[in-house]
Amino acid sequence: MSRAQTRPSPLHIFLAFGSGGLLTLMVDFNGLVAFHGGAMYSSWVAHGTGTIAAIAFLALMRLRTAPGETAPKPAAPLWAYLGGVSGAITVMLTSITVNSALALSGTLALGLAGQVLFSLAADRWGLFGLPQRIPKIRDFGAVALIFAGSLIIIFANG
Amino acid sequence: MTLAILYALLAGILVSLSRQLNGRLALSTTALIASFWNHIVGFALLTVLGLILGGLWPQGALDAPWYAYLGGTIGVIFVASGSWLIARIGAINTAMLVIGGQMIFGVLFDTLRGNTDNLVLNLLGVALIIAGMALTQKRS
Repeated sequence: MSRAQTRPSPLHIFLAFGSGGLLTLMVDFNGLVAFHGGAMYSSWVAHGTGTIAAIAFLALMRLRTAPGETAPKPAAPLWAYLGGVSGAITVMLTSITVNSALALSGTLALGLAGQVLFSLAADRWGLFGLPQRIPKIRDFGAVALIFAGSLIIIFANG
Repeated sequence: MTLAILYALLAGILVSLSRQLNGRLALSTTALIASFWNHIVGFALLTVLGLILGGLWPQGALDAPWYAYLGGTIGVIFVASGSWLIARIGAINTAMLVIGGQMIFGVLFDTLRGNTDNLVLNLLGVALIIAGMALTQKRS
């Protein structure tokens, strides 16, 4: 088990923050499809068009890089291919909870809490083959600030 | 209600589990290949579920504006970037920075659409998030 202690660099911050913006757009667009066709249909179509888009991106990348220059990597365990199962179940759960008394804000807030709990545990013990990272006091401070700020925004608009 | 709370918490856990698994797959392949598998596996599962439960081709499905169908393509980039980041800066840093970006862009889009209700509370939230992001940059 390797230990990683890298702080996020400005590039990491930019990429993560920007992908959060993409997530906002994605949730908006998928929500619009769900409004017309339901949550299951929306998620099914998003995964289908995503598969086609991924193949197109991979084909474009292959055109640009010379083959045979990469060092061989150890094979991935079979369970590492199941990320999509987890993602598909998420859609089914949230389509139930947004229509419960929790509504959208409760679903978002508890979803954040679930992400924080799992991510802290995953780093602490290096779960599922990723590097172990022992969180420090400062890391908990950053989590608390971002979590609190997010809750304020969620409930101010919910 | 208790069941709904458990479902909502579980949904959050599954979001992070998904990123953890895709991140592991990206270590053996590439982030884009991990994103491809994430989408095709999810598509296969949802196709099977849809065939059993119905609702794969609901009435009025194509009434959504065309650009709404770009959500899946955006998702490919989103999953690839998360798979790349998580092995480099860890699960909690990735999760919090993505959430911060999601919240701040949400407030920004909302404000641009002319919705300025709760602007003070929104700005307070944004300020806390930026402070938290700055804290991840601080060297000990």
